[in-house]
Amino acid sequence: MPGEGRGPSLSMSAREEGLRNRIAARDEQALVELVDLATPWLLGVAHAMLHDVDEAEEVVMEAFRTIWISVTPATAESRGLLPYLLRVTRHRAIDRLRSRQRHRRHLALLTPHEIERSTVAPVEPNEAAQPGWQLHAQVHAALKDLSDEQRAAVQLAYFEGLTQSEIANTLGIPLGTVKTRLRLAFGHLRLALAHVKDWVL
Amino acid sequence: MTAHDWFTEHSAEFAARTLDPADEATFQAHLERCEECRREVERIDRELAWLPLGAPPVTPRPGLRRRIAEYALGTPTPRWTRWAIPIGAAAGLLLAAAGWYAGDRRAASLAGEVALSRHRLAAIEDTLSVMRQAARVLQARIDMDGKQGGLVIFADAKTHRWNVVMHGLPPAPNGRYQFWFICADGMVRGAEVQGDLSRPVMFTTGMPSRGGKVLGAALTLEPMDAKDGPPRGKQLAHLML
Repeated sequence: MPGEGRGPSLSMSAREEGLRNRIAARDEQALVELVDLATPWLLGVAHAMLHDVDEAEEVVMEAFRTIWISVTPATAESRGLLPYLLRVTRHRAIDRLRSRQRHRRHLALLTPHEIERSTVAPVEPNEAAQPGWQLHAQVHAALKDLSDEQRAAVQLAYFEGLTQSEIANTLGIPLGTVKTRLRLAFGHLRLALAHVKDWVL
Repeated sequence: MTAHDWFTEHSAEFAARTLDPADEATFQAHLERCEECRREVERIDRELAWLPLGAPPVTPRPGLRRRIAEYALGTPTPRWTRWAIPIGAAAGLLLAAAGWYAGDRRAASLAGEVALSRHRLAAIEDTLSVMRQAARVLQARIDMDGKQGGLVIFADAKTHRWNVVMHGLPPAPNGRYQFWFICADGMVRGAEVQGDLSRPVMFTTGMPSRGGKVLGAALTLEPMDAKDGPPRGKQLAHLML
């Protein structure tokens, strides 16, 4: 597809802005283009959390439906499409996680090594041409800067959808320690990802 | 510490959804009446907006993008596709059952074939759906080297994708066939095709992400070294929507 080899810098931002305005104007082709652009990343988020392909696909479908319904000319100026989609996808996945018990059994089987490995998978150079990959690498760099303990807490909180109490149980540490680790980790991540804020449309 | 301090202290946990359900419900109720906390949560949401991209991307299964677009747009899935999936699954189960009787090794082999067949079925469903839903069919005849061939486009107005069929063309002499989108801002490259086209070649394509509104399509015979820029070779077909 033309243009897909480009990085996610300003060109991606400009493309997203164009899509946002067109979607707000009910341009169906714009939605199809957004589906092409964002689906692999949204599936990645949903699948990482749900560990179930069918459920992950349902969550992504619901996220796109939400954005198609809710993005209007009145809201188009205040929301970035991709961050909004990521947020809706993650929240939907968490809702599903908390409504089923299977997740508990999966977590019970996770070893500390698997918790560590799941967020800090190595960046594959052959994927670097995919739009958004550069951003993915930046997020990874920010996560790698965290201490091992903080990263494990973020992994469980952000990518596994656990509450603080559940994290404390999973890691076998006091609730107060979990809160401290998450607070420090989120503070660091907010600073580390601050330069990405300009891309949030 | 005031009651409001508790909300201030836990706004990041609420935004990240790490609060226990009871606390989350309490916080949510508070947000309904506290503009200050609402702004703070929105700010944290913005700052951590890209964090989910820490998860690696997953390649969508064939046909998923179409299903997503149809679901989001509220377009009902055609009846035949609703039957095709259960039929495909039933066929898969039959194959798997046969494999079970034939022994473990055979079952493993069949399971692989079933998975492959499912992917192929999904891909065929995807392709056929574009043709079935085609609102317009465009056709151009191409006479070349004594052969009569053509270019046919099935344009799906719902998913904004095209099935493109090229047929009856000789091997591209010293070059390759290049499909173009004719856009409001100029020509945008689509797929390139090499080899003998005496057998029909078909591909499905979405609309280009640049170039503005798509007005039509063209097929040219391009030199092998023409990898970018505007068309340089002979134009074989020119179709306008």
